[in-house]
Amino acid sequence: MNDITSQITGFLSMALRRQVEPDDDYFAQGLADSLFALELVTFVESRFALTVEVEDLDLDSFRTANRVTEFVRRKIAAPEWGEAHAEGS
Amino acid sequence: MSQQALRHGAAPVAIRSAAWYLPEHTLPITDVRTLDETERATRDALGIDTVRADDRLSSVTLAERAARRALEQTGLDARDLGALVMVESRVQETFLSSEATRLQHRLGADNATTFSVGGLGCVSITPALLTARGLLAADPALDHVLVVHGSKPAAALRYRHPVTVNGDGGQALLLSRGGRTRVLDIAQLTNGRYWDLFHIDYRDRPTAMWREQCTEPRTYSFRLAMETRNRLSAMLSDLLRRNGIGRGDVAGFVSQNLSAGSFTFLEDSLDIELLPACRENLRQYGHLGPNDVFLNLRTALDRKELAPGDLAVLINVSPVAAWSLLLVETGSQEDTA
Repeated sequence: MNDITSQITGFLSMALRRQVEPDDDYFAQGLADSLFALELVTFVESRFALTVEVEDLDLDSFRTANRVTEFVRRKIAAPEWGEAHAEGS
Repeated sequence: MSQQALRHGAAPVAIRSAAWYLPEHTLPITDVRTLDETERATRDALGIDTVRADDRLSSVTLAERAARRALEQTGLDARDLGALVMVESRVQETFLSSEATRLQHRLGADNATTFSVGGLGCVSITPALLTARGLLAADPALDHVLVVHGSKPAAALRYRHPVTVNGDGGQALLLSRGGRTRVLDIAQLTNGRYWDLFHIDYRDRPTAMWREQCTEPRTYSFRLAMETRNRLSAMLSDLLRRNGIGRGDVAGFVSQNLSAGSFTFLEDSLDIELLPACRENLRQYGHLGPNDVFLNLRTALDRKELAPGDLAVLINVSPVAAWSLLLVETGSQEDTA
């Protein structure tokens, strides 16, 4: 498990009070409510020094620790103006 | 801060009187029907102990009783109302008919320009205020606008999973250009992406089977929740900036009453603390739709959580989706009785 994923699973296991594996879909398991979502997004923002914008709010990016890891890597790699304009306007 | 800085060019609108009608009958939360054990557990964790409920009273009757009180407080005759704006009921009792003109007739508000506004769930109080402000600004001969709403659940079940329990209650706000309780600024934002997130299927079933349903629970608990955080945060920053004030100038934040969890979510999202009156009214009355925020404001004044002259921000959110912030300068209790 890479460092980003281990930080995320550590947070998830603490927040959900159960062992969370990298591919566990806690939304599908019915473990997530809006307060958990807020905790998760706030954790990702503060731990990895990024901002989750409205355009980033795709549940698929947040439903497992591995998906969150991919999201964090995309955000960290993206230039400041982001990838929202990739398809043109 | 100067009054000029606060106005930022918006036309003045103030609350001359405000009144509520809450049915006497109190329904314990444990008597509110749910469909299964999951719903029961969620219902019991909402932070609601009771709601007021009287199935004999229609939305129009609830609104009428509040309206009469608001008019009595100022001694204003209904015939002197320039406009009567009804925040639409969640469900009309009959189609094609007009609840707004029914209320006009019952009150005798014969000279009032009368119509309803809505479409935004609990946030619908905001288009009503925008309308009142516009009418008062546009017509110098028009002095009083009565904004009313009767809150009743739309479905047979009062419980809306996993959100809240709906109570009954009427509200009336008598608005004019002057008054000590002033609505200094109004911000509203909508995102039609969520227009059908909650709905009631009704055409193919008897009313006893109508049910408020969330069509995408995960969208509600994740995407809309987080979008609410981002939208409200940006709206609050903008509201404060354009009024030339900072967070420290706001004496209190008030929200609608959905659940204890929704209060915590708002507080954590915006890094604010809601006034205790919100939790008190949630506990006693459950959710009263568009009536919540001004009822909470009144309760906060009664409990001296706010003082005359304080600034308060009233927060409303609807899953349709709509977000609204109202910047209010509170007046004396006599003005908001």
